[in-house]
Amino acid sequence: MKRRSVFRRVFDRPMTLMERYLLAIIVAYVLVVTLKNPQFFRLETFFDMVRNGSGIMILALGVLVVLISGGIDVSFMAIAIVSGYSSVKLMKLLGVDNLIFALAVALIIGGILGSINAFLIHHFRLPTLIVTLGTASLFHGFMAIVLGTKTYTEVDVPHSLLAFGATNIVTITGDKSHYSLSVFLLVVIAVIVLTWFLLYRTMLGRAVFAIGSNEESASRIGINILRTKLFVYSYSGALSGLMGIIYFSGLAYINPVTLVGGELMVIAAVVIGGAKLTGGEGTILGAVLGIIIIELFDSTLVFLGLNASWESVFFGSVLLFSLCVIYYRQRQLNKRSLVFSSN
Amino acid sequence: MTGKPLLSAKDISISFGGVKALVGVDLEIGEGEILCLAGENGSGKSTFVKIISGVYAPDSGEITIGGDAVHGLTPRSANAAGIQVIYQDLSLFDQLSIAENIAVSRMMHDGSKLVHRRSMREIARQQLERVGVDLPLDAPVSTLSVANRQIVAICRALSMEARLLFMDEPTTALTGREVARLLSIVLDLKKRGLSIVFISHKLDEVFKIADRITIFRDGQNVGDFSASELDELSLSRLMTGREVTYKRYHRTLTDEKPLLELTGLTRTGNYQDINLTVRPGDIVGLTGLLGSGRTEIALSLFGLIKPDSGEIRVRGEVTTIGAPWEAMQLGIALLPEDRNGQGLFGEQSVEVNVSVSMLDRIVGGIGMLNRKAEKSLARGVVNDMGVNNKNTALAVSNLSGGNQQKVVIGKWLGREPSVFILDSPTVGIDIGSKADIYDKIHRLAESGMGVIFISDEPEEIVANCNRIIVMHEGEILEKFDEVDVRQENFKDELIQIISDPSYRVRLATEEK
Repeated sequence: MKRRSVFRRVFDRPMTLMERYLLAIIVAYVLVVTLKNPQFFRLETFFDMVRNGSGIMILALGVLVVLISGGIDVSFMAIAIVSGYSSVKLMKLLGVDNLIFALAVALIIGGILGSINAFLIHHFRLPTLIVTLGTASLFHGFMAIVLGTKTYTEVDVPHSLLAFGATNIVTITGDKSHYSLSVFLLVVIAVIVLTWFLLYRTMLGRAVFAIGSNEESASRIGINILRTKLFVYSYSGALSGLMGIIYFSGLAYINPVTLVGGELMVIAAVVIGGAKLTGGEGTILGAVLGIIIIELFDSTLVFLGLNASWESVFFGSVLLFSLCVIYYRQRQLNKRSLVFSSN
Repeated sequence: MTGKPLLSAKDISISFGGVKALVGVDLEIGEGEILCLAGENGSGKSTFVKIISGVYAPDSGEITIGGDAVHGLTPRSANAAGIQVIYQDLSLFDQLSIAENIAVSRMMHDGSKLVHRRSMREIARQQLERVGVDLPLDAPVSTLSVANRQIVAICRALSMEARLLFMDEPTTALTGREVARLLSIVLDLKKRGLSIVFISHKLDEVFKIADRITIFRDGQNVGDFSASELDELSLSRLMTGREVTYKRYHRTLTDEKPLLELTGLTRTGNYQDINLTVRPGDIVGLTGLLGSGRTEIALSLFGLIKPDSGEIRVRGEVTTIGAPWEAMQLGIALLPEDRNGQGLFGEQSVEVNVSVSMLDRIVGGIGMLNRKAEKSLARGVVNDMGVNNKNTALAVSNLSGGNQQKVVIGKWLGREPSVFILDSPTVGIDIGSKADIYDKIHRLAESGMGVIFISDEPEEIVANCNRIIVMHEGEILEKFDEVDVRQENFKDELIQIISDPSYRVRLATEEK
């Protein structure tokens, strides 16, 4: 028997082209930055990236599930803010200062908002992009009217959240400063494992792939389309709620008018990771690598001495270049098998 | 009937928006028998299948399954009663693995919440074993040929402990050898007591496997016969309600100057050393199994894939064809094999579909499309080709397969091509429309057009072509000229060559 690579044994599948390609980019980029500025290659940088990237990593997993089901959700940032902010408001109102309460409220509100998306999409057979554009405005606007847009600075942020944001797994004390690995990493790992389990080990997850592949065929073999979509969008919504709490906790500052507008960047990162906008395809590892690339560009520019605009340039180039490579290869394959339709 | 009835349908009627799709249909299917449902497009076969499988509720009528009357059949309850339908599009999930595609229905039905990978693979393995085909369980379905996808769909149906299996045109996209394999699987399933309803346009297949034949025409059951009572001629007469014989084509033109000449045309991996001439009035049959290189030659002539070496001469002049628009300028037209994917814009109107190949004719002075001209163009095509629906604003997907194909042919004829390549022009088309299309092609050839007719139905090749080229693994295996084609038992010889090309190859090497 052929010896199987470590990757194969862990993931039970060969690495996709996109994943290999992203890994290569990451390794090459890290190498270049390190050569330019050896300061970069330290645990501290890694710890920083974990802290900054945890939120969008969680969002990306929700986005991945939606893309696999054949939809595009652009309301997740709005849901994150609305559920996170509502949760904080409720804590203040009831005088409860408890992390579990905060998370539970945010997850539930996120899930409910997501299921509103699912109902609209399913019952009116509407394009997901348009529905979630609409609900994103609606949710956020509604929150602003009902709850206001008061910001909370560190003194007003509930203590449980501050404590959550300051909890670390590891702290390394250096000569001048000390740096630590945030507990957010554990949350991210938990979400990755949960998403993997749902997608690959439950029938519900298989149904998500099936409806993304071909909704008509899925309903013919008795897959409950509404239930599947309810899962997809409320899962994405709940993850957004979780992200909302993590975001506020990490920042120790609560501002209900941030985040919204950054949706497409996350979607693009997941697409770079190999998820197809047409549905049915996408891998967790790909999405994770896509987000790592964004974070890498985001946090390394200082080491290269470049200004923030370069991040957009780098990211845009990777996005376009990788898509060109993938789709060109697909076309070549199609041409070999004499298929001329695009996809 | 060979056994006691497994399913009986009595007096089934259904109408859609005032149009009667089925009128008082009675039908019985016995245990362990193969019933062929024959009928032209739009005769109500598919509607009937959808009623039995619970997709449509009939307006009136009674259905009994295994002796029990059933009411309010839904797709789920039909499944539970052992009724499985394999639709023409197969309803598979491209990105899921073969094992998952086969086992998904079973596991869904059993109500399992988790993916038990071992039992999933076990289900898939068992069913594949049952049909005697070996496929890689973990490969995604997207990597399979159409024939093997069909196998996956059959396995999925079997995994549901099907008692009655409907197969809607299962052989349309298959080549001769694949059809033979499928038919033998179907016969094998029957031996194990499964009842099968087989819907096909291909009459020779019908006679190979059917125990009984039921004919639908205009939403009515016009007759139940045992297969031995009918032959192809009487069956086609019953299906169409008229006598259909295909007229043989003979070239009458005497112009010997070739329109198109290929010398030594080669594309590595697809076809080698192809020599071929098309004169005005020629209908050159290009046949051979799928993968023999016939379609690839057509694609090269239309500028879609480039040949590596060799020469293409159009009206005596050497040319290279780099893109479809160049081919069009040279007067070459291609009717692609995949009508829905490549030949038509399904959701667009007949008008748009017709005018798209002739946009240069309907633009006015400032580059605006002239909708009136478009409409009259479409009218012309519809009348000329005998499309049954005269409303040219209707989306073309609403037409039957035969009428769709007439639109595709008509759209190219408007350009008055001098060489028309038809790749499998009658796949999935009923007999009546077939005869119309053949007739049109004959008339075109008589008027001086050169036609390349690609098909793997010997029947069709013999009726339409005055010269025939048989291909095998990218090479020309045999050429037949007008004299050969007129030989009395030529059809049998052709069938033999197509179905067993390796025998011919051996023969040829022995002669050397």
